[in-house]
Amino acid sequence: MRVLLDWLDARTGYRSFLAPFRERILPEGPSWWLTSASCLAWVFAIELVTGLLLMTTYSPSTTSAWASVHYIEQSSAGRFVRGVHYFASHALIVLLAVHVLRVLVYRAFRAPRELIWISGLLLMPLVIAWAVTGNPLSASQKAVTQIEVEANIIGSTPLVGPAVQRLLLGGDEVGHLTFTHLYFLHVGLLPLAGLALLAVHLSQVYRHAVVREQLVASGEALPYWPYQSVRNATVATAVTALIGWLAWRRGAPLDAPADADLAILPRPEWYFRCLFELRRYFTGDWEFIATLVVPLATLLFFLAIPFFDRYLPRRLAPALRWSIVILAIGAWDWLTWTSLARDASDEEYQTARVRAAELSERARQLADARGIPPEGASTLLRDDAQTQGPLLFQRHCASCHSCSDSGGAGIVAATPSAPNLYGFGSTSWIAGLLDAEAVGGPHYLGHTKFAEGDMVTAIQELHADASDDLTAQLRAVAHALAAEAAPGQDSPQDEGLVSQGRGLISGQLGCTNCHKFRDQGELGSAPDLTGYGSRQWLEEFVRNPRDERFYGDRNDRMPAFAARSLPSDHHLLTDRELRLLIDWLLH
Amino acid sequence: MLKWLSGALGAASAAVVVLPGGRFLADALRQRGSGGAVVKRVARLDDLVVGKPKSYPVFDSRRDAWTLYPDQAIGRVWLLREEGAPGDAEASKVRAFTAVCPHLGCAIQLDSGGQRFVCPCHRAAFDLDGRPQPDESGKKSHAPRGMDSLECRLVRDSDEGNWWVEVQYEKFESGLTTKVPKV
Repeated sequence: MRVLLDWLDARTGYRSFLAPFRERILPEGPSWWLTSASCLAWVFAIELVTGLLLMTTYSPSTTSAWASVHYIEQSSAGRFVRGVHYFASHALIVLLAVHVLRVLVYRAFRAPRELIWISGLLLMPLVIAWAVTGNPLSASQKAVTQIEVEANIIGSTPLVGPAVQRLLLGGDEVGHLTFTHLYFLHVGLLPLAGLALLAVHLSQVYRHAVVREQLVASGEALPYWPYQSVRNATVATAVTALIGWLAWRRGAPLDAPADADLAILPRPEWYFRCLFELRRYFTGDWEFIATLVVPLATLLFFLAIPFFDRYLPRRLAPALRWSIVILAIGAWDWLTWTSLARDASDEEYQTARVRAAELSERARQLADARGIPPEGASTLLRDDAQTQGPLLFQRHCASCHSCSDSGGAGIVAATPSAPNLYGFGSTSWIAGLLDAEAVGGPHYLGHTKFAEGDMVTAIQELHADASDDLTAQLRAVAHALAAEAAPGQDSPQDEGLVSQGRGLISGQLGCTNCHKFRDQGELGSAPDLTGYGSRQWLEEFVRNPRDERFYGDRNDRMPAFAARSLPSDHHLLTDRELRLLIDWLLH
Repeated sequence: MLKWLSGALGAASAAVVVLPGGRFLADALRQRGSGGAVVKRVARLDDLVVGKPKSYPVFDSRRDAWTLYPDQAIGRVWLLREEGAPGDAEASKVRAFTAVCPHLGCAIQLDSGGQRFVCPCHRAAFDLDGRPQPDESGKKSHAPRGMDSLECRLVRDSDEGNWWVEVQYEKFESGLTTKVPKV
């Protein structure tokens, strides 16, 4: 080993290159405060390694971005690697802020170290840009909304804004090119810029480090290695452990795939909360003060510190430095805290968060169960009856119909004026329709023009001359009609009940006096009971309740949503919407 | 002691990234079950002419990392109808070969004469029974084995209508002298 290293040294001279590190001296001894720099470098390295790992699988385009991120989450250790990358980016921002404030307090920016200070400070906007370009890469709804907002902020910058916005998005709006552009910035341009700044930063640190020969004997002085190194390693390990723990326990978030139809209430990441809050105080034309002037002025002020600090009186300089630190931490904390507290007590926002979590969970479920179609992950939720059904029902049905269980949970119509469709076609729903009280009640025909119609009268008369076995008979009828909705799903013991019920419908109970049922009765005076509540029956009913098969001219207010006699551009519901709505109603 | 401790802590921190990173990179090695045979109808029997090989695609759903393609051509087969009682479908016999060359996996084509299969990549030739043939200059074929035959049977529509050729399509390891299914 020794021989090999000697051979290498003879050719490269690496030992003399490393000497300043090995012989570096800390005149005032080691300190926990000095660990921030190496810890920052370590987290940078973590970002680099995990970033390269993610690059092996991530695919930037609107159809594949979410899908590939979901794929990473499913790969072995993928969730952890992505989680580490995500939380390390947060750690980077925190550590960079701590490092800047530490250097400020230590006055380590003094001549001749101004360039160290400047190159380090410029890393701050760079790291922020890194996060801003990284977060939207998942192409989730939240991600897309974030980049839209950020692009609009850039766009509102005077003069260059609109051009930069177009360059960033690759067009008018978020699309394939947005993701390739963000990806290029995130893994191409920004790392190069970061390496350039780091090169300046570290070569300056290296150049101005105190080494053994220069040391004026001092009681406290100790070599950097290993006295400071062990402290560095301890802090780096603690930070790594925290990042690893967060990645393990919580993982990086992945919201539902982008779909403009699924409204969410987006919020910026926590490190932007301060600017988000600040914007509340600058509205309209003054917004750019919060989004541009304040951040830029703060940066410029910090950059200028080395150049005026030396002219300040001896007593004033430390007071100023400390007040900058306190003011910076105070203002940041206050703005962030105010914003978070406002959201915590905002019910609408909390509901939206729960909803977003549900959608995310559902999208992942669907992706696992069905695989992601070639059109991309957005179609997962767009073609999902469980997601779209309630939305369609709210939009098209809920002005009259409710769809809520006996406890009132579900969708409740603004002014219920038509039957409650919860469990439509099921045995219990039909049992209610056959009940003397319920049939004319608010959940069935009570609020319709049939409230005192033939059906209600007929049911009430049935109950009035109640024979002893009417209850059992109606139970059989309910089973028989429910079997129309879901044929072939009866248990063997129900089958007897079903055939008994069929007999009663066309026989003793006289339903076919008005209704058609299979080959008994005729159309024209009441809805067809053949296939009642089945997918096909319901689809045709929703398409056109005025059809002879259903209510004909006696139809109450229900519109024909997609009558087959009309061209499809006159339909209130597209075929796809109709399918999703009915899938959901009959689920 | 301090030096040793620094090294140990550094190694521990690195392990937090390196070990999961290694697992993540090795994920592609994990079997994802893309192999295995599928049974598909590929052609109508009446479309085949006795003694003239014809090629047909095989369609199936295919999973490409995250995308599930519901219906894609997953390969191609050569079908050859053999002598049988003309007009008597039940007495017909059809042979099926995968179009994947056993040498390096190129797509085998039919020679212009129509009586020989040829792989365009390295001029490996096969007779209509799929046996390797020496090339024009009499040199031994590049193919390590004959064309891979596929199990194939005739099925009829349930309404007693058309007869169909149903092929059990699968892929085999290339370059071996024996036919080994890919898993």
